Amino acid sequence: MKDTLENFELAIIAGNADASADLADTIVRQGQATADKIFDHLAAAMEEVGSRYETGEYFIPEMLRSAEAVEKAMTVLEPYLFERRHEQAGIIVMGTVKGDIHNIGKNIIVSALRASGYEVHDLGVNVSTEKFINKVKETSADLLLLSAFTTSTKPALLDIIAALESEGMRGEVKVISGGASHSEDFAREIGVDGFATDVKSTLAICRSLTGA
Amino acid sequence: MAGEIPDRVPVIPVVDGYFAPKIIGRDNDECFLDGICQAEALAASLARFGYDGAIAEMGLGDEPNVLGCPVEVEGNYVPLVVETLIAGREDIGKLKIPADSSAVATGGKLEPVRWLVEAVGAGQVVLGSVRSPFEYAATVRGLFDFMTDFYRDPELVRDLVAACIPATLAVGKALIEAGVDALVIKDSFASSSMISPDHYREFAWPAEVQAIGELGGLAPVVLHICRNSMPILEDMSKTGAAVLEIDSPVDLAAAKAAVGGRVVLKGNIDAAAVIEKGSLEDVEAAVRYAMSAAKAGGGFILSSGDSIPNSAPENNLTALVEAGKKYGKY
Repeated sequence: MKDTLENFELAIIAGNADASADLADTIVRQGQATADKIFDHLAAAMEEVGSRYETGEYFIPEMLRSAEAVEKAMTVLEPYLFERRHEQAGIIVMGTVKGDIHNIGKNIIVSALRASGYEVHDLGVNVSTEKFINKVKETSADLLLLSAFTTSTKPALLDIIAALESEGMRGEVKVISGGASHSEDFAREIGVDGFATDVKSTLAICRSLTGA
Repeated sequence: MAGEIPDRVPVIPVVDGYFAPKIIGRDNDECFLDGICQAEALAASLARFGYDGAIAEMGLGDEPNVLGCPVEVEGNYVPLVVETLIAGREDIGKLKIPADSSAVATGGKLEPVRWLVEAVGAGQVVLGSVRSPFEYAATVRGLFDFMTDFYRDPELVRDLVAACIPATLAVGKALIEAGVDALVIKDSFASSSMISPDHYREFAWPAEVQAIGELGGLAPVVLHICRNSMPILEDMSKTGAAVLEIDSPVDLAAAKAAVGGRVVLKGNIDAAAVIEKGSLEDVEAAVRYAMSAAKAGGGFILSSGDSIPNSAPENNLTALVEAGKKYGKY
């Protein structure tokens, strides 16, 4: 028989937002689970969702459905997790770069990162270099995640890296880029610290760069 | 496009408003706001590289808004829909859907298309590009909300797509009246790289069938679905489209074997990895492979799988056209 946390994980994988919120409520009422344990199950669920996308079992609407289930569960869990003072995995600033309004991949990854215990500042889409720089400064972010889907956004990626360097911030924040607009080779060329193409690889790179 | 065997495989790469403006020394945003500029750019590109057809994208720079949703473009970035109108079912009525082709053609909006039709040479064609009802619906709702609706409110998806069918019909008919030789109906979001084949059949396919049923009687229709369309290729071949435009993730030989007997295939050189990033040798090798996979028996148009990016080297487009003419002879 599966326990509440296992069922909670399955509800997220299935994208059942009502069940995930109900099970989150049960977890809170039982009061037994540690914050680490909850984040482990949330992250495992989103990794499984990412795997199913990779293998062609899930598509974007199914990933969005699971992301919505995480979001709904987090509204129930947040006060409980705060009381338990879960140690944060790191601070992340993320957005889709200027010239691009694709938000689906970004939003799914934001959910997965929050589910993994990161404090994520999501700046939205078509974000200017200045806005990225200011937010990194304001939050002392550990990681800057740049989503870029359309091929015309390469100059925006270059501009952000150049601005971090000219502001003397390049050594203080690790930069990860991702999206269909560019290859890993291009990412390496412009000097980012990591390149990710999906939920699983993003989580793995974030963990390795923050030691979380 | 009738599927007969010509002297050689036609070469019609997807050169549109992302690539062509630089051929006349202009930025994309200048031509986005000026249809004649874009028409001149497309005609200049056609003349320079010598391929067989131009693509009048979205009515040639005449889409400052999509059914009422404002669009912005800056420099060589792609045009962006910066505000969506549909927060819920009650907003469907707010869409500015043209009632018929005359509503699309107001204010000289189709002059650039007519200009391009006049400008192309003998033996060359002009394809007019229009969004599918599904793509219109996704654009005006916002892709994130639209795809979330698949499970949250599938009835809204169906209603919104149905509401957008008249827009595809009106724009398509207007382009035909302006003289284009064929239509390209773009349904990029219906790709199996984005949605499941089941969702394609449920939400996108019925509207494709309806639109192509009506427009296909007026001009041949090319159905464009980019990235991976292999799982839905059979369905696409049953929409009534004369040509299926397929992208590089599709195995061209497998596509030819599956549907080549029923429809013309147009594709599928990788616009990014080969045309933008590859060497001249890469381009030639990709063209040779495409010919070996799909030329036999006719029914093939050599093309890029998707729009050629602004940053693609001009020499690679030259190589594509030269190799297409060299290896495409019957």
